[in-house]
Amino acid sequence: MHPGFFSHILLISQFELKRSFATRSGLLSIVTFAVVWCVILFYPLRFSAELLMQEKGLMPGFSFVGAIGFGSIQQWPIPEFGLFWHFALLIFPLLSIMLAADQTCSDRERGTLRFIVARSSRDRVFFGRFVGVIVIQTLLISATASSTLALVLYRDAALFSSALPDLLVVTVNLILAVLPFTAMMAALSATVKSARQATVWAILIWIFLAGIIGGFAYYLPTLGFLKLLVPGYQLSALAQLSGWQTLQLAYVPLLQSLILLALGRWIMARQPL
Amino acid sequence: MTSSIIHCQQLTHVYSGKAALANVSFELDAGEPVGLVGPNGAGKTTLLSILSGILRPTSGTVRLFGQPPGATQLIGKVAALPQVARLDPSFTIIEQLIFYARLQGFTRTQAALEAGRVLEEVSLTEGTHEKPPALSHGMAKRVAIAQTLIGKPALVLLDEPTAGLDPVNVRTVRAIITERSPATTFIISSHDLAELDRLCKHILLLENAVLQPQTIGLNEEQAGTRFITLQMETGPAREVIAELQVLEGVLQVTNPQKNELVVAYDPNLQPQMDLQLMQCLNSHHWQYRQLTHGKTLEEKLFFHD
Repeated sequence: MHPGFFSHILLISQFELKRSFATRSGLLSIVTFAVVWCVILFYPLRFSAELLMQEKGLMPGFSFVGAIGFGSIQQWPIPEFGLFWHFALLIFPLLSIMLAADQTCSDRERGTLRFIVARSSRDRVFFGRFVGVIVIQTLLISATASSTLALVLYRDAALFSSALPDLLVVTVNLILAVLPFTAMMAALSATVKSARQATVWAILIWIFLAGIIGGFAYYLPTLGFLKLLVPGYQLSALAQLSGWQTLQLAYVPLLQSLILLALGRWIMARQPL
Repeated sequence: MTSSIIHCQQLTHVYSGKAALANVSFELDAGEPVGLVGPNGAGKTTLLSILSGILRPTSGTVRLFGQPPGATQLIGKVAALPQVARLDPSFTIIEQLIFYARLQGFTRTQAALEAGRVLEEVSLTEGTHEKPPALSHGMAKRVAIAQTLIGKPALVLLDEPTAGLDPVNVRTVRAIITERSPATTFIISSHDLAELDRLCKHILLLENAVLQPQTIGLNEEQAGTRFITLQMETGPAREVIAELQVLEGVLQVTNPQKNELVVAYDPNLQPQMDLQLMQCLNSHHWQYRQLTHGKTLEEKLFFHD
């Protein structure tokens, strides 16, 4: 009796985790990310949080952060999480494009997929790799959110109980935010020959899709709903929300992911391996 | 009782407007190895790619054990050695074979044992903890063959299995195929006709994307006429032909290549032709290198009348 669909998804995604956390090249990427994140955490994030704390009550009715367009940060009871939320909404979708670019393309070009598909199926490989990359990003998001929590507790350990819900909110929302980007890369990776091509196409498609749909929506406002097709469309609106309000827009990335995964699965089923 | 394991109906595949396969139809039963031959570009790799599910045909139907290629019901039942395929350079050989075995349903412990077993079967006991870039071409080929042996596949599709292997490893591959047949049916695409002649009782010949119908069951003797192929060491060909031509039962002697003679004879007139030929050669002190019953595969496929 051979394993079922979910057993294969588990095995394939575990193998992807091993690629990221137990191979030399994977570890090098993780260490690089950790170093970059430490720099962000200890410098811009910590100093900005201190600035926000000092600003409170300094000049009633005026806020420097609000004046430069980041007033929503002040809605977060703990400024570190407000800042983390803004940094992460920019960093993780970009990271997702790079991290998820090589879901199947180089294996297909090398012929490795032929060995794997012979004992699994195209669907299982496609979804298994997608799940693997999502789990890796979940671990990175959780690690960065936890490090932000550690920073908050270092400042004031009494904030633990109020910081915990914020930790959950940002983690859940960021996972939702990277879903459509990862699904877009899964679809592109099933089409192109290399991770670099996938990344270039992702940027081009994203820019043109956003530009064309934006143009259409400007002249024909009834077509505004098409903006929903652009991955990350909700991010600017999301940055203005705080706490559990952020889940109001969860349907956007979920819908986009479903469409992109269906498209990717269709491509994968037809692509010569 | 035999059962059809492969059923192809009107299989066509078109690459950029050019037919790589044109209306190929055949059925194969489980059993002895089957050779797939043809000139470069004839469509052999395309046919094997379609059978192993890595390519979709433009039109036509294919069924392996009653299932379309790539169906999950075929996991562990059908294995393939693609012509061009390399392992993942990020993981060691053994890690990848264990992963493949696990996908086929082996537990972690069983998978480790199975991976070790198949590598041993292709005489690869060293370097299994190396990553693929560290392997030579021959070693990589043997690993690729090893992955087809995981579990007990009923059908193994081998595209150029001995290309790039040294003679010792060619012999190992041959031994594996002989040992596993007929429990496992092998379909072997190769340009090494001598090798296929040794291994296969049935041959599929593809020429210009078309399957030649007369080639199936090629090794079966034609009624009435039999052949002996004689490789000569020494001896003037013209004189040898003249002497052999007059022997009892000889129908025709041809000289397709230097030092190679093909003797067509009637077994009803002379059932012990091999003995008669040897006596004739001995009486003239002509040395021969090899005497083989039947024509060589090359003769049968490409130089038949």
